[in-house]
Amino acid sequence: MSALSAHSVAVRTRGIDMFFGDGETKVTALKQADFEANRGELVMLVGPSGCGKTTLLSVIAGTLTPQAGTVEVFGQRLDGLGQEELTAFRRKHLGFVFQSFNLIPTLSVLENVMVPLLIQGAAQSVAEAKARAILEKVGLMGREDGRPNALSGGQQQRVAIARALVHEPSLLICDEPTSALDKDTGAQIMQMVRDLSRSPDRCVVVVTHDHRIFRFADRIAEMEDGRIRRVVDDPSQLDATHL
Amino acid sequence: MYRLALNMLFGDRAKLAMLLCGLAFSALLMAQQTSVFFGIMSWTYTPVHNIRARIWVSDPMVEQANDAKPLRDTDLYRVRSVDGVAWAAPLHTSFVQARMQDGNFKLITLIGLDADTFAGAPATLSAGRIEDLRLPNTVIVDEWGAQLMGRPVVGPDGKETTVPLKVGDTFEVNDLEARIVGICKVRRAFTGGPFVYTTYDRTKQYTLGARRTLSFMLVEPQPGVDASALCDRIEADTGLKAWTSDTVIWDWSDRSLARNTFWWFWKNTGIPFSFGTAVALGLFVGIAVSGQTFYSFVLENLKYFAAIKAMGAGMGVIARMLLVQAFTAGLLGFGLGVGMAQAIGRAMIEKGMPPFVMFPQIFWATLALVLGISLVSAVIGIIKVSRVDAATVFRG
Ligand SMILES: Nc1ncnc2c1ncn2[C@@H]1O[C@H](COP(=O)(O)OP(=O)(O)OP(=O)(O)O)[C@@H](O)[C@H]1O
Ligand SMILES: [Mg+2]
Repeated sequence: MSALSAHSVAVRTRGIDMFFGDGETKVTALKQADFEANRGELVMLVGPSGCGKTTLLSVIAGTLTPQAGTVEVFGQRLDGLGQEELTAFRRKHLGFVFQSFNLIPTLSVLENVMVPLLIQGAAQSVAEAKARAILEKVGLMGREDGRPNALSGGQQQRVAIARALVHEPSLLICDEPTSALDKDTGAQIMQMVRDLSRSPDRCVVVVTHDHRIFRFADRIAEMEDGRIRRVVDDPSQLDATHL
Repeated sequence: MYRLALNMLFGDRAKLAMLLCGLAFSALLMAQQTSVFFGIMSWTYTPVHNIRARIWVSDPMVEQANDAKPLRDTDLYRVRSVDGVAWAAPLHTSFVQARMQDGNFKLITLIGLDADTFAGAPATLSAGRIEDLRLPNTVIVDEWGAQLMGRPVVGPDGKETTVPLKVGDTFEVNDLEARIVGICKVRRAFTGGPFVYTTYDRTKQYTLGARRTLSFMLVEPQPGVDASALCDRIEADTGLKAWTSDTVIWDWSDRSLARNTFWWFWKNTGIPFSFGTAVALGLFVGIAVSGQTFYSFVLENLKYFAAIKAMGAGMGVIARMLLVQAFTAGLLGFGLGVGMAQAIGRAMIEKGMPPFVMFPQIFWATLALVLGISLVSAVIGIIKVSRVDAATVFRG
């Protein structure tokens, strides 16, 4: 990994401190968290519950602002950006896959997938064409006019992946994308994430508890008490106790 | 995004129906209650509507249109001589007992019109001619009065019905015959029973014993003379009280007889209070129901708005989406509610009970209230969405 030039770094955090509340109730979620992911990589963040995975992911996504440290995503420093600039940054460069899918139940599958494009201000017809194209890729052609709730969990997560990728973001952020799915469906979903996001200009960060999908990772960063304990290339190198 | 906002709103038919029902119900309640209230209150100045004079002149002590204090007949000459008066006609109003053919007594409102000009005569007659009042012992009664004073008959099926009085029927006032020569259409009054029109001179006989029968004088200004300015002059010259006949009770014109009557009843009777509490209750329930339904709609969508926010939608876009939803729902609910109120009101007007007057002000005030409620709910929603940390969308 050290052979890669600095230029190929997609995500880098240095010395991130993040606490919630203060005084008696102060909770330290991250302390001096250093994390790196390269272009073209799929990196997983693993660790025990409460170790700060979601918090770190939120910092990388620019939805949480840390108290200390630097965040750099595709050459753009996020620390120091205002809310509006962060919002614009997310709109342009980020795709999200959530654990609970977060599809809007009153909109059709197609409309759900169009949302990121419409947020960017794309024309209705352009957004529709692009959404159809990506729904085809995730194998949901023919279901685009139905409601998300009429689909199975796996199908809903495929819609979510289509929505996360429709605007071709540089960074794809997934928090527990398979935890609401059974084993086989989870594997299919990860396969799809990997296939669709493999590109030298893209980086995927996946937070997960699900050891069954570790094999899809290029590297795995293991967290403990708000910091990255170590990074391994192969799941078999992880301590069994942390799985 | 606005199309999406609307699709979000219309996407769930059941929830939309609930939301619209809540908004429509409250709009209905608000419009209905206030319209009935103002309907009843507008009955207080019925005389102003029915008599249709430009200017009314009364005793200085008179406070409202249903309160007649007799004037001297010579006052008529004094008013006629005021600069700017084209003509002035006498008007008598009083409550008297009428004896029906079956021997029963009914309280009626007797109105005496100037036989030369018929100033103050009803606008429409459904039977007969106004000129026939010049014949001896003749009267014109209003449709509702004809019904009230009608003769009860028992039909073959045992049901009792009332046969309304018609042209040619007679009754007695003060032992004097009153023969009906016409039936007129006039607005109902808050006080008083059937309207019985006769000539001013004949009221002296019908109200035996009354020395002075001049209740009001109806004045027409000369062309180009401002009514309100003429009122000032009449008051200055005669010491009497002069009123304009505009029925805009919202206008703060102190000259308006209708307005003064309306507010006199407002201040001096329990009606506004008893009905006012019903109206206030309607408003309160309406605001609570529509606010609650819309707010729960916003809450339900909160997590999706949080997701949209995480995906990079600015608060401006989200605020506008919420406002589009709120105002669309508000307008639809308002339309339904006020439509229903109108339909119910129409049905009521047919029956004449209770009265229903939807002033344009009620329409606009209801619209403003419903939209205000939608706006407040939307603003609360906007504040809620702006407070949710975009990061929370990651937490199931
Ligand atoms: N908004 C918040 N307010 C207060 N404390 C918070 C908040 N978010 C996170 N925390 C705390 O920060 C710590 C890290 O939380 P985080 O959600 O990042 O953990 P996690 O590794 O994602 O856990 P899990 O595997 O259960 O999802 C926890 O102790 C949590 O209670
Ligand atoms: Mg988590």
